[in-house]
Amino acid sequence: LSSLPLQILLYVNGVYYIFYFLATLAMIIYKSQVFSYPDNLLAPDLAVLFLMAILEVPRLYLGFKGNLTEAEAPLGLSLGLTVGSVVLCVYLLLWQTYVLWADVLLNAVLLSAYGLESGLKVTAIAAFVS
Amino acid sequence: PADIRDAAQARDRSAPAPVTDVARLCVCDLLVAQCDVNCCCDPDCSAEDFSLFTTCSVPVVTGDSRLCSQKAAVYSLDVEANPPERIFKLIDQVNPSIFCIHATNYKQALYLKTPEIPTPENFDQLLDKFGGATFSAEPDSWNLDTDAQNPPDANETSRYEYGVPVQTEDAFLRLPSPVVSSWCSDANPAAFLVNQATKCIRSVSVEKCDSIQALSMLFYINSSILAVPKSSQMVNITVKSIVVQSLNGMRTLLSSSDVLRLPMVLDELCINAVLGVNYHITHTDTGEIIEAAAAFVLGAISKETLSIEQSFKISFTQENTQPVPLSGNPGYVVGLPVRAGFQPQGYPFPAAFLSNKHSQLTILHSTSTQDCLAAQGARAPVLFGYNMISGCKLRITAAMKCQPLAQTLLDVLKGQSFPEYVASFGNSQAQDVLDWVPITQLHISEQMISHTLQSSCQIPVSLGIEVKWTKYGSLVNPQARIVNVTATITTTTLKQLPSGRERIIPITSSVVFTDISSPAEPSYKAWPTIDIKLPFDFFYPFV
Repeated sequence: LSSLPLQILLYVNGVYYIFYFLATLAMIIYKSQVFSYPDNLLAPDLAVLFLMAILEVPRLYLGFKGNLTEAEAPLGLSLGLTVGSVVLCVYLLLWQTYVLWADVLLNAVLLSAYGLESGLKVTAIAAFVS
Repeated sequence: PADIRDAAQARDRSAPAPVTDVARLCVCDLLVAQCDVNCCCDPDCSAEDFSLFTTCSVPVVTGDSRLCSQKAAVYSLDVEANPPERIFKLIDQVNPSIFCIHATNYKQALYLKTPEIPTPENFDQLLDKFGGATFSAEPDSWNLDTDAQNPPDANETSRYEYGVPVQTEDAFLRLPSPVVSSWCSDANPAAFLVNQATKCIRSVSVEKCDSIQALSMLFYINSSILAVPKSSQMVNITVKSIVVQSLNGMRTLLSSSDVLRLPMVLDELCINAVLGVNYHITHTDTGEIIEAAAAFVLGAISKETLSIEQSFKISFTQENTQPVPLSGNPGYVVGLPVRAGFQPQGYPFPAAFLSNKHSQLTILHSTSTQDCLAAQGARAPVLFGYNMISGCKLRITAAMKCQPLAQTLLDVLKGQSFPEYVASFGNSQAQDVLDWVPITQLHISEQMISHTLQSSCQIPVSLGIEVKWTKYGSLVNPQARIVNVTATITTTTLKQLPSGRERIIPITSSVVFTDISSPAEPSYKAWPTIDIKLPFDFFYPFV
């Protein structure tokens, strides 16, 4: 059977991610105006943010598909992509040029969502395999 | 080994590390090893010094307040205690905003940039950038043979434009002028179509008379001017006239200006030193220079003189034109002379007006002798906006005849050629008849109430010129326009004096400018109208 908590979490993750992306982009723009933000430091931060957005779309799609069709291959792939997203999220949390308090909150929530999701995905894969 | 030593030395010569500990930072600690008054963070102050303070000039020392949490040193005076003592607290200041900086991974984020320390490697580059009196983005290149300049477009530089430096064979036409102080700087180029007059001081000495280049005529005329920028066509600078000024200031115009007079030492004086140059450049209307002339003032320098004042002037005229100085464009400018003229014969056929220096609107100029009959001919031009009054005293004796006296006084008051028309605008052309305002002449006679017959002689005693002007044009940039000029002559009867007696009567002339502009009415755009039309089948089922 498909895992209902995982489905709910994936849906909420999708909605939250849109808000997260817009808020982080707006804050990077704010930081570049208010603080001294040279171009060679602004570029990596923006690149990480956009890469994370690009990763998120297939990740969520594969998660939905795997959970609904009760197939473990897409779920496994989604788990792999989640690892990449976690790394990028940790970068934005710790190694950004300026880490504001709002950044810390947003990234912490996203990280906890990823962690919970990964746990549920592992459980779902175990359920589907057996 | 040599380069390792150099690297170590370079590292040692870095700037001192910034102090970031708030407990040790003190902005008001200005005196070394002495206690600063009311500076609570000064380490040189003892407890007795603190007891004498009234307040703390620096109450809080913190880092950047945008950080989420930071240390702050708080200084305050406890005035309740006896004696008053200073309280020092180190607290954690928290910024409650959600956008406070939690951490930065960029070390120079919140600090000022450390300047580059000069080393033997980068010294030349730093000297180029910062070594001059000013820091400029591009290098100062006045030479014609630089490769940094863009290759000129054939159409663009085939003529001079306003403000472009006038080029000569080597560099540019110099007009020495004071730059920062009053001393002459020879690096000031003359700009095309910019009439300039400068005065500056040059240090001289009689011994070096012939070696100081700027004192010799050759320095100013030897390099020929290029007719157009970057061309090979040259225009030689001719010497138009030479005026020699003696040591007591008297000037004589030399009859022949062909001979070049170079400075030389004569009887402990340095003669033929250049005191002033007046350039006159003639150009075509396509921006090409065709003629250049220079008029010199040469003088003598005595042994005691350490510096002389040189004056330089340059003016540009277009070929085949007579420059008429405008008094405003288009409205009159306060302080410039009112332009006036005559209408030559040919009335009522509208003809052009004659306007030259001899037909200016002038009034009597008061002299020191104040005698009307003695100082004839001294006149002052009427300047727009300046109300003037002048006069003289007339001594009447019994022997004077009335009619000639009246005529003489009229000449004294009005001048030799009193104009008939005044230009309405500062730039009125002579051909535009409608732009000229006729001068209305009025006669007022001061009649005594006793019914003196008109046959007794009247002499003019005062001339009053009233110029009425208005503001014309836009509200934000109004132009002055003369609307009406009235010249009023007041005459009085000349009573016959018993012989031997004489009388002194004052003669006055005045100019008054009155602003008769009506208050401006701002006009607004019409309110936008809403133009709605319903489609013809709007009420379809019902109509």
